[in-house]
Amino acid sequence: MISQEFDFEAPSALPEALALLARHGDDATLLSGGMSLMPMTTLGLVQPGMIISLNHIAELDYVREDGNELRIGALTRHADVAADPLIGAHAALLAEAASLIGDVQVRNRGTIGGSIAHADPAANYLPAMLALGARLRLQSEAGERSVEAKDFVKGIMTTAIETGEMLTEIAIPKLAAGTGCSYQRLVRVEGNFAIVIAAAITEPGRKAARVGLGNVAPGPVLVDVSGHLGNGLDDAALAAIGDAAFDAAAEAASDLAGDANYRREMARVFARRAVQSATDAADAG
Amino acid sequence: MKHIGRAQTSLTNRQLAAGKGVFVSDIQRHDMTHMAVVRSPHASARIVSIDSAAAEAIPGVVKVVTGQEIKANMNPIFEAYDTEAMGAKGVVSYALCPERVRYVGEAVAAVVAEDKYTARKAADLVAVEYETTPIVSNTKAALEPGSPLVEPDWGDNILITRDFVKGDPDKAFADAEMTSSDEVYQHRYTGAALEPRAYMAEYDPYTEQLTYWASTQNPHPVRVFLAETLGIEESSIRVIQPHVGGGFGLKTPTFQEEPLVAYLARSLERPVKFVSERTEDLLVGGHAREMRLSYDVAFTKDGRITGFRAKVVADVGAPSALCGWGMSFVCAYSIPGCYKIENANVKLFSVVTNKCPWNAYRGYGKETASYLMDRVLDDVAAKTGRDRAEVRLKNFIPPDEFPYTQVSGANLDSGNYPGTLKRVLEMIDYEGFPARQEEARREGRYIGLGIGQELTPEGCSMPRSTLLGGYDGATVRVNPSGQVTVLTGITSPGNGNETAIAQIAADSLGVPFDQIKVIQGDTDICPYGLGNYSSRSVIMGGSAVQIAAKDIRDKMLKVAAKMLEVSADEVEVEEGQFSAKGAPARYVLFKDVASTVYRDCHGVAALEVEPGLESTRYFQHGNVYHQPETQGRFSAYPSWPNQSMAMIIEIDPETGHFDILKYCAVHDSGTVVNPLLAEANLHGGFLQGVGGAAHEHLVYDDDCQLLTTTFMDYTCPTAMEVPFFEVEHQETLSPFTPLGTKGVGESGVAGALSGLCSAIENALPHLDLRFTDLPLSPNAVWNAIHEAEEKRT
Amino acid sequence: MKKSIEVTVNGKSQSVEVDTRMVLADMLRENLRLTGTHIGCGTGSCGACTVMLDGRTVKSCSVLAADADGRSVQTVEGLSTSAVSLHPVQEAMVENQGLQCGYCTPGMVLSAVELLNKNPDPTEDEIRHGIAGNLCRCTGYHFVVTSIQAAAKSMKEGA
Ligand SMILES: Cc1cc2nc3c(=O)[nH]c(=O)nc-3n(C[C@H](O)[C@H](O)[C@H](O)COP(=O)(O)OP(=O)(O)OC[C@H]3O[C@@H](n4cnc5c(N)ncnc54)[C@H](O)[C@@H]3O)c2cc1C
Ligand code: FES
Ligand code: FES
Repeated sequence: MISQEFDFEAPSALPEALALLARHGDDATLLSGGMSLMPMTTLGLVQPGMIISLNHIAELDYVREDGNELRIGALTRHADVAADPLIGAHAALLAEAASLIGDVQVRNRGTIGGSIAHADPAANYLPAMLALGARLRLQSEAGERSVEAKDFVKGIMTTAIETGEMLTEIAIPKLAAGTGCSYQRLVRVEGNFAIVIAAAITEPGRKAARVGLGNVAPGPVLVDVSGHLGNGLDDAALAAIGDAAFDAAAEAASDLAGDANYRREMARVFARRAVQSATDAADAG
Repeated sequence: MKHIGRAQTSLTNRQLAAGKGVFVSDIQRHDMTHMAVVRSPHASARIVSIDSAAAEAIPGVVKVVTGQEIKANMNPIFEAYDTEAMGAKGVVSYALCPERVRYVGEAVAAVVAEDKYTARKAADLVAVEYETTPIVSNTKAALEPGSPLVEPDWGDNILITRDFVKGDPDKAFADAEMTSSDEVYQHRYTGAALEPRAYMAEYDPYTEQLTYWASTQNPHPVRVFLAETLGIEESSIRVIQPHVGGGFGLKTPTFQEEPLVAYLARSLERPVKFVSERTEDLLVGGHAREMRLSYDVAFTKDGRITGFRAKVVADVGAPSALCGWGMSFVCAYSIPGCYKIENANVKLFSVVTNKCPWNAYRGYGKETASYLMDRVLDDVAAKTGRDRAEVRLKNFIPPDEFPYTQVSGANLDSGNYPGTLKRVLEMIDYEGFPARQEEARREGRYIGLGIGQELTPEGCSMPRSTLLGGYDGATVRVNPSGQVTVLTGITSPGNGNETAIAQIAADSLGVPFDQIKVIQGDTDICPYGLGNYSSRSVIMGGSAVQIAAKDIRDKMLKVAAKMLEVSADEVEVEEGQFSAKGAPARYVLFKDVASTVYRDCHGVAALEVEPGLESTRYFQHGNVYHQPETQGRFSAYPSWPNQSMAMIIEIDPETGHFDILKYCAVHDSGTVVNPLLAEANLHGGFLQGVGGAAHEHLVYDDDCQLLTTTFMDYTCPTAMEVPFFEVEHQETLSPFTPLGTKGVGESGVAGALSGLCSAIENALPHLDLRFTDLPLSPNAVWNAIHEAEEKRT
Repeated sequence: MKKSIEVTVNGKSQSVEVDTRMVLADMLRENLRLTGTHIGCGTGSCGACTVMLDGRTVKSCSVLAADADGRSVQTVEGLSTSAVSLHPVQEAMVENQGLQCGYCTPGMVLSAVELLNKNPDPTEDEIRHGIAGNLCRCTGYHFVVTSIQAAAKSMKEGA
């Protein structure tokens, strides 16, 4: 139960929302799907003075093609990201990431923008965003800017979003034909956050490969494993990829789901598996 | 018998599936207020002062109450056990702590307000000043000389000890061909019924009646406890149990909030409602299980156990009025379970710490006894190089040796343990498994088979306990139109026992099933009874119904005989018809006989019987002995159902993650009244067993702060974590109940504990794994695998 | 802070005054007396509060009532017209013992309805995925899954 009072606004257009945000600054908390904000407010972990719901801003809910990019509105629900044909065709890694979030109800309500803005180290999208080279569009009443996914997370649940700013769109370069991708995560029980995530992309002809790792550091970590692809993915190459992931996970923390060492070891296993299955997927066409 | 033994869906299904059930939190009363609780953030502290001014200043706040007011106006909470009769230490505790707190979450004050938001907000503004005192955070620390004391008056941190001996264990070890010893650990977890605890009370000053709605398993005992704790007459309280969203033992009384709500409703003369939040329920709604068990076992080279010593050290949390600590006693009491060991010693140390008190949880300690024995038997099998099943079969109490007196004096009524084990091994194709395993290995997959053996005594009766007694009552009432109302003292926390009761009543009276209406859970209407726990509902409640029904049936037989103009012993009744034996065409309808009794009491047929068709009877269980001095033994459990289970898992050795592929069980609870609901109950037990073995864990840090206070952290298994279950029944009847029933409700929770350990061990034979700590989280399993691999290289 | 909202519940448009702190589940339960929507955790983890919001299942403990302004909500009460004609999923639960205490059941039923709407012929695995957001502590899910299988069959036959 939420016991602290707060003001509530539900603007129906983006400029209105940005104006409210400008006016109320740090007092205002944006509400998207509420799948993180609502539990946190209920538990008293956050106490918003004012909530601005974005749920009535239809113009923030879209997926469209723009030249070599896909543009995804921040309010697009996880279920729609998972099922969207454009995303399926040009950024399948993202669809996979979305389809593995929580459960049906969470996917029906939670949004891509809310999840990215929330920047939970264990959350699904960011490792994929990194691997995909996504750009995030931040808007405020004063203007807008674009931040590379790799520069977005500043620490545990802190991001590049400044007071008065809102994440409005995610831009993703379309994957070229022949790209392989694979999204792998380890969970304790279904519907729970991941212990470790590995989101891998191999470029056509195995020219390059990279793995976005999740929950092994305060933010997502990108590991470039292109150097280990060589001619074929033999055991040595896979071991080297695993080692690279293990090293990249040096900042892994311990929590109830797993200790730091286990996380690092799992980063090793899942990075290897993700790259392997991404190449398999590419080979299979 | 037409209905007993028939798979019948539960009578409450339709209402509940429609969403039309009524749970306590659904009830709204005129002028209702809401209570929120101020809880201690410390595990051990003295309350220095409480300032409620800020809370009281909020509009809508009706009252702030603290422990001092409670202590001045109420008695300590009445204890579920008679601790003295049990040889245990008792505790004085209040609905709100007046002076000191002993675990995080213990209630120190409460706010009543016009709405729940205001109550919660104000509760957060009650400023309590504490002076923290040293913490007892685990049993090891608790038992060290000079340890701080959870209860300073006790002199130590031990709630109860026991030392059960049979034969000459010392000699058995001296003569042993082989020995082994180890320590196993069962972590802390709980039932987490989906409906959190909820209570509501309303007081009518004109009739001086308190009506009390509770999500409880035991309306009548709640009434006693409320009366004693409030110092008012039992007859002035009516306890009503609406639908209950799961109990699993955790909803047995008495929690602090229960008398508190009653007290506030009386003093405010307004309805007061308390609905616990999930976080509160995880924090203070009763914990269970945390035990460390060490053992030494002596055995022959072919795996026959000749001597056994076990020591149970339980962390029961802070002492309370709840009956939870009794689980540690029952654990020790049930060891060595299904096995015949002539020389054995079982020691119990029930230790208090500054954690949440235990409350009863499905299994009630028997699951941990079963877990221990399974680990022991697997150890013996490994050491002797014998097959796991073979070693069990070699050591089972033979079926022809019942009743069998176990080490503790427990009197095992009946059983056929080889029967269930052999059958379950057939179901899972034990013989064929090594070949399957080999084949899987060739595909790079690791599968393993685990077995578990449960012994789950049921029908608990403890000396002088208001809650745990070996009897129950029922009223059977036939109305003038021939329909039947059955009122019972037992209750259903959602497991469908009303359906089994109706089946028993239908057969006992000889009427169609749909003519029976069962009423439970209202102390103003139902005969006195103890409610639901220890899987007693069908054993006790069903037997009481059967006796009461027999009274009515005998009476109606006499009347029917007159109507049919034959003698009473020539009449039989089935499905609503009394007929002359051997001449079914000569019959009178059940409803016409009922009508005759009520409408024609001076007529020929009914003249010789007392008017009315109603009987209230009590069933008292045999095979319970509470006077060891004169009866030669102490025995608290009349019936001993058992189960053998086997599961196949697939493990990913690189991650420690596993999937359960197949889960089979053969259960023996004597006569099965309703195989469908019995199976449904077992399924729930399996889930909680798997949850306990692998997923659910109440984690405390060194400051006794609970870290798992939401369902995000306390991870309950979903539909993805379990497969379909395959269940069969074996029926070895209890000689001590009229129908031969034993009790089903707690079976299933134990088998997976060791079963999963042994399945994972079996999947990776080359690593020679041995699991002795639960839960088997992927991290823990991976650690074990990793360590074993390191050792090998 | 109070706010007046317009919301369609089980096909009926209503105007309700809500406290901004109130979650949708509380509004349904307390203001509209639709108590079939249950609260098991209040933090989005158990699914007991599942309702349909604009035709999709959501956890109503984690949606603000004020945010349901202008939306359409369907609760378990909206699935059946009378005690003798429940929704096929509910009938299947009744017939196949897909419940015990019934606390999780309304949410479970709505998740099953959503699943079968999207996928009339689900595999066992798809059913288990479909209800993974609904915890049940009583049934072990076995008869829940068989109930949904039975419902799928009867809905196909009925269609
Ligand atoms: C049971 C359960 C299981 C879950 N499992 C997973 C999982 O496996 N993987 C996973 O990734 N996630 C999981 N989640 C979290 C879920 O994905 C959330 O939906 C997501 O993290 C937050 O998105 P939201 O739209 O719900 O945002 P909200 O909860 O509404 O907001 C989250 C935060 O972001 C801010 N915010 C929202 N929108 C914007 C915006 N446009 N610009 C700037 N700031 C904004 C809010 O102020 C808030 O601080 C789970 C949640 C639940 C309840
Ligand atoms: S009550 Fe909403 S998910 Fe548990
Ligand atoms: S039936 Fe009780 S929680 Fe599902």
